[in-house]
Amino acid sequence: MKILVALKPTYDINQLKFDSEGVPLLETCPITLGEADKCALEEALRIKESNKAIVIAVTVGESQSHIKGIRDALAMGADEGYLIKMKNAWNISSIAVAKAIASFAQLTGPYDVIFTGAGAGDTHSSIIGPMISALLDFRLIAGADQVEVSENMVKATCKMEDGTYYYESDLPVVITVTSEANEPRIPTLKAIIRSKSMPIKEVDPSVLSLSVEEFKDLKVLKHSIERKRIILEASDQKSAEESVEKIITFLKSEGVI
Amino acid sequence: MRTKLLAYSEDRSWAAQIKSLSDSIKAEASIFLPKKEIAEKVSGLYEEIYYSDLENFDPLAYISAFFEVAKLLSPEVAVFPCTGKGRILAGLFSAKNSKSVATDVYNVQSKENNLIAKRLVYGGKAEVDLELKIPATICLLHGSYVEAKANVESRFNKVIKPNASCRVIFTPKKVEGMEPDKAEVVVVAGRGVKTKNDLRMIMELAELLKGAWSVTRPLAVDEGWAESWIGISGLMVSPKLYIGIGVSGQPHHMMGARSSKIVVAINKDRNAPIFDECDYGIVGDLYVVLPEMIKKLKNMKQK
Repeated sequence: MKILVALKPTYDINQLKFDSEGVPLLETCPITLGEADKCALEEALRIKESNKAIVIAVTVGESQSHIKGIRDALAMGADEGYLIKMKNAWNISSIAVAKAIASFAQLTGPYDVIFTGAGAGDTHSSIIGPMISALLDFRLIAGADQVEVSENMVKATCKMEDGTYYYESDLPVVITVTSEANEPRIPTLKAIIRSKSMPIKEVDPSVLSLSVEEFKDLKVLKHSIERKRIILEASDQKSAEESVEKIITFLKSEGVI
Repeated sequence: MRTKLLAYSEDRSWAAQIKSLSDSIKAEASIFLPKKEIAEKVSGLYEEIYYSDLENFDPLAYISAFFEVAKLLSPEVAVFPCTGKGRILAGLFSAKNSKSVATDVYNVQSKENNLIAKRLVYGGKAEVDLELKIPATICLLHGSYVEAKANVESRFNKVIKPNASCRVIFTPKKVEGMEPDKAEVVVVAGRGVKTKNDLRMIMELAELLKGAWSVTRPLAVDEGWAESWIGISGLMVSPKLYIGIGVSGQPHHMMGARSSKIVVAINKDRNAPIFDECDYGIVGDLYVVLPEMIKKLKNMKQK
């Protein structure tokens, strides 16, 4: 069985800061592989262990963060790692990213399963997996919290807004995995050292016959909703009573209770 | 010529919000809904209503029915609700049929032949203005547009049910009390709530305020205390009043509640990010503050 895992290093948005004009300080924001992407890789590695699969990790971009992302995937246990070389990877439209991965899959496949995170850590569009499925005419399991892949079938459970869906699907399939699906392994020191001597292969987009159009972000600014930020203290029973009294008065005058 | 818009929805509320977006850019709107029973509820909002006979959510079957309608109409814009299912369908549709796609959109303007969309990114911490080349696909955030009123005569058109792509077994979530995305008041429990039993206080407060209760994602998915949660990967709500109890305010959670009119936070950590985006906050132990709040509201009710 051949498995592709598409990964995306993303900004750690919990640590994102803005300058005084409200422009996000992306240069100083740490970048890591998203949780859901790591869970997607973990699912692939578990299949590899039980089913003798080969696992290939790929990302679109060529920055140090992208190289590190693939290096981390190799340390976790991926057999091969690829970079699809594109400058300004952060400004490539999601359609172009999906097309790049789909073309890469056609070039290096055939694959039985393509895994990716159900949502990237930063933008969380959750559309790349479905796009790859459409481009390759693969089946689709989106947002899996539990996955079980056998030789010719996948069983998965997905929690959605209206309830829980249990799916059984044929292969080949694109599976997007949530960050609750598993606990991704932490590579051993030995595995980290070994991964450093593994090659990271580079793919030129021209090989994938892609025309990449960058999308235009006209303006990125801090999204601020005017909030009143009236903060009261409740350090003991008495101040709790007073604060609650005040809050109820505020909410009544707002007309919301 | 007017821009042609094709909407997808599974209920009247979303259909009415997307209609309102459509009206604001003076588009000619049609809609596709998966089932006849739902399609009938949308009567009067759209002139052309398409429906099929689809059962439990099978993404590929759903999108192929939607695609049949798109082939017929060649819309310049396809609009889906920014829900879990809406995102999946938007991804499937846009890959082959659109030049551009944006999720988490809360405003759309037309500009010459293209569209300018405002979308939220980084868990709603930042907003981006995007130029979308048409044909474009958009996922619209809940509560971004007011619901349009029924004012046209609708024609109903049936789309043949496509083949299933997989086997699906669906277990609907149990709704205890009101549904959060339909309520005017939403009380949310976060990690500060220590045991499942303590959720009773959250439910009691919700009931007193005639609202719904919910939780953050870890409480639903890791602890299994509830079947749904508020956040970017769960329910997106826009109530008049949101009360976060023991909620720290991680961006992916707040994204699901950001369009609430008033946000109230109760948390013992003064540095919790939720205090930066609330209207009223109490820094204190929820096990002291919450019983007090319930007591006062009960007294008010009795008077």
